[in-house]
Amino acid sequence: MRFQVDFVEGSRIALRSLRAHRLRTVLTTLGVGIGVSTLLAILGITQGLDTSFANQLASIGSSSLYVTKMPWVQLGNWWQFRNRKDLDLSHMEAIRAQSTYAVAVCPMIDRAENVSFLGSELQRVQVVGTTPEYLAVSGFEVAQGRFLTEADDGALRNVAVLGMDIVDTLFPHSNPIGVTVRLGNRPFNVIGTLSRKGKILDQSQDLLVVIPFRSAAAQFGRRRGIAIGVAVESPLMMDPAEDQLVGVLRRARGTPPEKPDDFAINRPEQLASTYEQLTGALFGVAVGIGFITLLVGGIGIMNIMLVSVRERTREIGLRRALGARKRTIVVQFVLEAVVVSAVGGLLGTVVGLGGAKLISEITPLAATVRPLTVLFGVSFAAAVGLLFGIWPAARAANLDPVEALRYE
Amino acid sequence: MALIELEAVTRTYQVGTESVRALRGVCLKVSRGEWLAVVGQSGSGKSTLMNVIGCLDTASSGRYRLNGHDVSHLSDDELADIRNREIGFVFQTFQLLPRETALANVELPLVYRGLGARERRERARAALEKVKLADRMAHRPNELSGGQRQRVAIARALVTEPSLLLADEPTGNLDSATGEEIIRLFEELHRMGHTLLLVTHEPRLAARCPRAVRLSDGEIISDGPGREVALQNLRDDPRLAAPEPR
Repeated sequence: MRFQVDFVEGSRIALRSLRAHRLRTVLTTLGVGIGVSTLLAILGITQGLDTSFANQLASIGSSSLYVTKMPWVQLGNWWQFRNRKDLDLSHMEAIRAQSTYAVAVCPMIDRAENVSFLGSELQRVQVVGTTPEYLAVSGFEVAQGRFLTEADDGALRNVAVLGMDIVDTLFPHSNPIGVTVRLGNRPFNVIGTLSRKGKILDQSQDLLVVIPFRSAAAQFGRRRGIAIGVAVESPLMMDPAEDQLVGVLRRARGTPPEKPDDFAINRPEQLASTYEQLTGALFGVAVGIGFITLLVGGIGIMNIMLVSVRERTREIGLRRALGARKRTIVVQFVLEAVVVSAVGGLLGTVVGLGGAKLISEITPLAATVRPLTVLFGVSFAAAVGLLFGIWPAARAANLDPVEALRYE
Repeated sequence: MALIELEAVTRTYQVGTESVRALRGVCLKVSRGEWLAVVGQSGSGKSTLMNVIGCLDTASSGRYRLNGHDVSHLSDDELADIRNREIGFVFQTFQLLPRETALANVELPLVYRGLGARERRERARAALEKVKLADRMAHRPNELSGGQRQRVAIARALVTEPSLLLADEPTGNLDSATGEEIIRLFEELHRMGHTLLLVTHEPRLAARCPRAVRLSDGEIISDGPGREVALQNLRDDPRLAAPEPR
């Protein structure tokens, strides 16, 4: 019974008073709405980034290690890496012979060449010279035709396997298999294409040409060292595999025991942690801004509630005289504040989601919003209303009815 | 058994460092069905007395029994419930909610009693019929005359079927003709058996009540038939004899 009086009548009164002051309600709602939409847009974009980045990382191949002279993510002075000894095929053979975790090992040299076919040209495409095991290391699959074979490598054949981006650009309407393309000014016969992997941070992974390792060395020379790709049995074996590789490589390279490693073992997750460091800070700042906006909205609500309480002092006195308990008055005014902010929260959610969607449409940033986030937005706004509505409501309830009735 | 029983009731306010003694040991008994006027100059303590009797305020000392129950030491919530059940207030300034219809205004005390919408509506309608406003139920206060507004307020006071109707200067904001209309309504309610307590500074009004008490400096200085107390009041304060001071 009391519940009915407090909440049902309380919300009826609250809605009535909100309808009576439409402009005021809309403006107050706007304050909270902007706060919530800011917060939600930020959350949406960050979540979107996280999801798409996680998907992208998975596409690199999560159980491969890449041994290079210089680490992918460089901290400290670049020249200290530069003076290291290059990696060569003997190191690769040492890994193949000694590593018990490696299921596939391949050498890689890469350079940028222009790829052309019948007058169309793609500039500075990544050309990877490698061996058949590259397929297992990279996680690519053959879409059409076949991949490189030992025979291609042994015979120094000028054959090429194309990434999907190259197929899209140079062969939009025709089958590239068997066709001759030019890498730089050298002719290569297309034997296959690679399945699409997609983008990582707006960088396509499908813009590449794979050719036999020895053909690459013969055609383009081999001034710089190689990189070595190692596929491990399963992602769970990455740590022991890496430890083992360190030992194998130090021995093969004759690294003195007192010196640090003079090579780098890279994992795709390293990119992830760098990314997290970057976005974590950004995310923190953005969420901070969102909260400040909400705080300002909340103060707006408190302000308007104080005005509302003052305006209705006599009404409060009357209600108390007619038998309203203090709690009933508190509930009435808190509900008013909660309703304003929940409506603001809802509007803000819609705008925030729309904003996130818009951003994902017009920029490369992907935005996804989980249903939970919407719930979070609305309930968070309502909580703001509750927080900032309680004090004005308590002031209303604690008015002396005699004084309140006399208030002019 | 008396409906109202005040024993040596005092009420002291703290105004800054000074304490103001608004009531200094008031003793008063009012029986069921009585019509009593409380007269006195402004500052005599009659408003404070009305607030204490109406359970809007509590006595600083002494004892107040309403309908046989001691209400001197009740909690805030209990007092709110007693106001809702036992008291019907009629104010000088009507105190109607401007955005609500006459019917909704009359329903208000029943909301706080927790009645369902249908029963509220029926009882409010009956109360408005009692004050002869059956044809004005859907009107807002600003569409009603002063007298009609006060009648809506009286209907609101009657709708809970309270033990006591408390009216504070009910004709104070009305012209004399309309005031007369309201007094006639009170007379009728008295005949129907309602207990009425009327606070007024108008001797003409007090003179028509069967009983009146006169307050001065927080004490009851006379208690008797309305006509006598009103005359006494006039003798002591000739300013009140001037017709229609406003």
